[in-house]
Amino acid sequence: MSRTEAHPEPPALAPGEVRTRWIVSTPPILFLSLFFLAPFLIVLLASFQYPGEFGGLAPLLAQGDSPDHGLTWENYQFFFSDTLFAEIFLKSFLVAALSTLLCLVMAYPVAWLIARSPKGRRDLLVLLVILPFASNFLIRVYAWMIILGPQQALAQGVNWVLSALGQEPVNLLFSPFAVLVGMVYVHLPFMILPLATNLEKHDPLWLDAARDLGATSWQRFWRVTWPLSLPGVFAGSALVFIPVLGMFAIPDILGGTRDMLIGNLIKDQFLGVRDWPFGATLSILLTLAVLGLAGLATWAGKPRRGHD
Amino acid sequence: MSQVMLVLFLWFTSLAQAADTLYLYNWNNYISDATIARFEKQCGCKVVQDYYSDNEEMLAKLAAGATGYDLIVPTGNAVEALIRSKQLRPIDKSKLPHLKNIKPEFMNRFFDPGNRYSVPYAYTVTLIGYNTARIQALSLPTNTWALIFEPRYLKKIKGRVTVLDSQRELMAAAMLYLGYDINDTDEAKWKQARDLILRAKPYWAAFNASSYIKELTLGNIWVVHGYSNDIFQADADAQAAGRPFRIASALPREGAVLALDSMVLHKTGRHPELARRFIDFMLEGQNSAELTNLIGSGNPNQEAMRYISPEIADNRAVFPDASVMAHLEMMRDLDRKSRRVLNRIWTEIKLR
Repeated sequence: MSRTEAHPEPPALAPGEVRTRWIVSTPPILFLSLFFLAPFLIVLLASFQYPGEFGGLAPLLAQGDSPDHGLTWENYQFFFSDTLFAEIFLKSFLVAALSTLLCLVMAYPVAWLIARSPKGRRDLLVLLVILPFASNFLIRVYAWMIILGPQQALAQGVNWVLSALGQEPVNLLFSPFAVLVGMVYVHLPFMILPLATNLEKHDPLWLDAARDLGATSWQRFWRVTWPLSLPGVFAGSALVFIPVLGMFAIPDILGGTRDMLIGNLIKDQFLGVRDWPFGATLSILLTLAVLGLAGLATWAGKPRRGHD
Repeated sequence: MSQVMLVLFLWFTSLAQAADTLYLYNWNNYISDATIARFEKQCGCKVVQDYYSDNEEMLAKLAAGATGYDLIVPTGNAVEALIRSKQLRPIDKSKLPHLKNIKPEFMNRFFDPGNRYSVPYAYTVTLIGYNTARIQALSLPTNTWALIFEPRYLKKIKGRVTVLDSQRELMAAAMLYLGYDINDTDEAKWKQARDLILRAKPYWAAFNASSYIKELTLGNIWVVHGYSNDIFQADADAQAAGRPFRIASALPREGAVLALDSMVLHKTGRHPELARRFIDFMLEGQNSAELTNLIGSGNPNQEAMRYISPEIADNRAVFPDASVMAHLEMMRDLDRKSRRVLNRIWTEIKLR
């Protein structure tokens, strides 16, 4: 989004200003290289190592008579030896995309309401959106276990309707439905907030102008509000899509027998089956996939910025 | 000046305290508070506990470089892994006068011949737990793994069954039902077990290793593949909540997995002498019995039997007869090649 400001050539900076910029930007650069780049490189290296027999990684240099040392393609070969792991990737991407879409559909009206409210009520509404964060994430997910439980009003009601229609009763808890509910519930605020921030900046006069020019209410939304809100949509979608992709707690707690996602698979490699290198391989491939997708989204979003 | 003296004084006392602290890395809820308090009083020291809920989690933490734990309580196969990776300190048995309390069948097992590094602590059995009212009403058999694997039984309890979210445990149950050894690593047999699991999976509600206790208590889940102490916990909770049913456990006739947890000394621990005193303390009948009375775990200590409440001591799923006991198997640690083969099979089970 800041890219748009770069269009006119920036004026040359005075030497003092250059120094100030460096001083100001050094801490975040250090922070990112320490806590993002370094771990990433460690994980990248680990993805080419052998697993240690008792957990961790096999040594890089020969020790004793163990043949497992040095670097290997084995972990990547294992990934591509079967369509199984790619299927889990695909499934996780679909779940993440669906969660993002549902969040967007549900968040848009809320964000619009917040943006159009008078100042005092707007602050209250934003506070209400943030309020769930006051209690622990796991406790909120566990609460869904109770809400979706088979003896609760929701499941009883749904099954009453189903039996009236002559259908088999269903389980709400431990199902893909429960996983989706959990994902959308937890990540909804991350979609609402950037959208509201964006919509707030829209000038109501633009819509009046569109009306004066004869636009219907649908046209006013689709031709004016929606294109202008795209930066907020992209920001919110990224904030939902990427965490959902790595989430393992929600499928663990609410999921049934078919709800393994990529996050669960990665977690299992480290905490379940002592295969850190394969866990690292999965993480690297996931990071690459996400970066690729982000690149694609940027590329797809670019032409729309032409009129700025 | 006096302030400096005070700071120095506090610093020295904190050092003194550190010297008398036992760092115990233990399973969640695996020792009674009363036992800890009694030991602290007896030794004039402090016990600090860290917890794990899975052997692999514990091994992963140690592999990542955690140090300073004096005493850990791993299961047999994890003891084997810790011994082979040379992470343990030998235990001087001549300094453990109460070691004679351990029943001979729990000594000298495959993971530590001669008990050079480990002293038995408690055990659990992986078996079938069930809601008595529901199972009686449906007249289903509970003494066989068929209950969780055979569609002809499962169709009556569809969506009311959970199995453990553990590669090794679920494969072991399937292997036992197929008549194989739980430690067999033949891929063809594993694939047979996989097919058995995939056939039964549509009837199961979830793979679950923790919340099944609560779901049993609530009456949402009727049959579980679970640990004996968890099923004991579910029954205790159901009684406390005044539910109209009990939660019972049954040992399948095809055999079951025995998980014997043992006390071991980690090499990086700084208080081996204190840890040794703790081991001997836990070998005393009363202290050992307190754990069984708290969580319903199996107890390898014959002196403890006198202190264990009769309801637990008479539970044949927790304290099986000698002939059944001989039928229980302990899991061995897998090498990395087999782990990867099993890992792929497990991923397939989870995805399909």
